[in-house]
Amino acid sequence: MAPTSYYVALSGLLFAIGMIGVLTRRTAIMVFLSVELMLNAANLALVAFARSWGDLTAQTAVFIVMTLAAAEVAIGLAIIVAIFRKRETTNVDDLATLKG
Amino acid sequence: MIAFMILGALALVGAIITIAAKNAVHAALGLVGTLLSVAGLFASLNASFLAATQVIVYAGAIMVLFLFVIMLLNANQPISGRDPVPFVRELAGIGGVILAGALAVLALTYRDPRPLAEGAQALRGGGAGPVGEVLLTRFLLPFEAVSILLLVAIVGAVALVQRPVPQSDGVPDTEAVSLPLPGTEREEVRA
Repeated sequence: MAPTSYYVALSGLLFAIGMIGVLTRRTAIMVFLSVELMLNAANLALVAFARSWGDLTAQTAVFIVMTLAAAEVAIGLAIIVAIFRKRETTNVDDLATLKG
Repeated sequence: MIAFMILGALALVGAIITIAAKNAVHAALGLVGTLLSVAGLFASLNASFLAATQVIVYAGAIMVLFLFVIMLLNANQPISGRDPVPFVRELAGIGGVILAGALAVLALTYRDPRPLAEGAQALRGGGAGPVGEVLLTRFLLPFEAVSILLLVAIVGAVALVQRPVPQSDGVPDTEAVSLPLPGTEREEVRA
């Protein structure tokens, strides 16, 4: 049985990789994929803590996070498709018209 | 322990493929590998219901949606060009290393509140029964809120990708419409 700290360290690594992806990739879809990676890292840490404390509350929270991620992906991809129809691009640098 | 090592290494490889692949389809497949490895890690953490949900919802439904959109938009080619923000790659790398280091230090100084075997036994395997019991008693309000959120997301997605309805103003769409100047408005209408 691997200790909790190993799982949390792996979760931290996955989260950092996801953050690098969000910052460096240019396509909106790739940014979304990296966000999914970060959500999964958070889920992994939650499940590890659930075992550490012997409490199912964190596992329930993971279930709700998964549902939220599904809703977020449905809306986000719909927005990307709508923008692509209008602007013919998914490059996040070209879509910076709301930057103020 | 051996399962953790193998699955963790697979998850990291998949994550690196996800952010480094030139082709978006390869990136999505790398993420599928990471998600399946995380499902295996869930199973090793006494969370069997979540492991099944991870495979069905994440690796199944969400990733199929991603692949669908990638192929629909033909977005599998990378975008090249000069970076609008200078040194963004270097800054992201430094930030990622700092974040990973900080989280690793936090993780390795964490102490379990009680022995692991005892906590694992209290989870009752994390099957659908025990998780559903907590979900429908303590988490009933968030559960219902999430169901409303999913409904709103479905309706919103359908509304967003709907094609605009043509307005029935009597003007054929092929005819060029030019607004009359203010002084000549009446004559234009009569003509």
